[in-house]
Amino acid sequence: MHLVRDRAAEFGVRGIDPKSVSFDMSAAVARKDTIVSGIQTEIYKKLGRNKNITFMKGHAEFTSPVDIRIDGKMVTAANSILAIGSKPAPYAIPGLKEAGFITNYEALKLEELPNSMIVIGGGYEGVEFAQMYARYGTAVTMFGRAPRVMPKEEPELSEKLGDILREEGVDLHTSTEVVRAGAENGARFVLVREAGSERRYEAEVLLLAVGRNARVENLGLSEAGVEMDGPYVGADRCLRTSASNIWSLGDANGGLMFTHRATYDGPIAALNIVKALGREVDYRVVPKAIFTEPTLASVGLTEAEAKAQGHKVRVGTADFAGSGRAKAIGLPVGMVKLIADDGTGELLGGHILGPRADDLIHEVVTAMYNKGSAESIAKSIHVHPTLSEVVKRAAKALR
Amino acid sequence: MSDAYEVAVIGAGQGGLPAAHMAANLGAKVLLVEDREVGGT
Repeated sequence: MHLVRDRAAEFGVRGIDPKSVSFDMSAAVARKDTIVSGIQTEIYKKLGRNKNITFMKGHAEFTSPVDIRIDGKMVTAANSILAIGSKPAPYAIPGLKEAGFITNYEALKLEELPNSMIVIGGGYEGVEFAQMYARYGTAVTMFGRAPRVMPKEEPELSEKLGDILREEGVDLHTSTEVVRAGAENGARFVLVREAGSERRYEAEVLLLAVGRNARVENLGLSEAGVEMDGPYVGADRCLRTSASNIWSLGDANGGLMFTHRATYDGPIAALNIVKALGREVDYRVVPKAIFTEPTLASVGLTEAEAKAQGHKVRVGTADFAGSGRAKAIGLPVGMVKLIADDGTGELLGGHILGPRADDLIHEVVTAMYNKGSAESIAKSIHVHPTLSEVVKRAAKALR
Repeated sequence: MSDAYEVAVIGAGQGGLPAAHMAANLGAKVLLVEDREVGGT
């Protein structure tokens, strides 16, 4: 949508009047729903083919470590796996509940494009939705608590991502605290403390994106004997909870709350139950990606984290501005930053802000998984002209 | 004993599904429960 509206002429496409380009939110949501329901159909087919799986739709509630009530029907299970996921954390902003707000769940189901939106939270959900709605044409104002968006990421990259959001028209405020919310005359508002004073901002929609907790409501976890670890389910490295016959995986355990982590955990929990293998999760090398454009993807330690752990580090960087491919696709922005131990050469971290960073990161992931250096990336032949050449240049810069 | 299972998996998202399939493929009798939509949100 934004490419057609904002960049068609640059790519030589004629006949498009940017003012006449509009976005049909309900059509986009319907398209998304069609894709999702196709995926769900495949899931049901695969479940149907597995003779050992009985599927039940309903809410499960433990009445003991082995007894579960599912919408009134009692079953017994010698072992259980909690794959319950997460939900938005309750956030104590006075007046927010009364004012009415949406979370990530509703943000993908809106029928109409809002004229204006306030995004509360500068983490990955916040930046993804802020950019998405801004590109659709919503006036987005965003409030983060930290001095920059994505505060746990490599500062050079998250600062740059913040600049990109601002250039695209997101009214981004950092180092802020939202102290109150409300609704008045059909518009919602927030009171925000920033730079020592309080200001009021208004918008049609408030989107809350400030972290997630385990989805444990009415699950009967205390009856099951499962203890919590703060807002998450407590589980050991074999994914076993405090109840010896109950395991837990994914977002519910906190830490790296990404779908691919849950998908990784799933078979390990199953193996540990059925085969009693005592297999431990290996979270040494878990990549993550933030699906903005350009994408931000990372794995391992930041430079500051590596130094804090006592490493003397070597850093190699390369810019996408020098990539012919990035220029050709119109996204010559961002950089690759690799961090290695100066003594051993072992790769400690990789950070990419740039086009297809979510794909490019895996070359770094593979090298790190094998406790390798960046030498194989630096020496091996990369196809020209591809974006992967930027990763190779960063690896060569590490030497 | 049709309502007794070796493994109950609570949640049919992207973690619960591979867990259920793996347990079932290893021979366990598995119950998979979901109160919202399969595949996760």
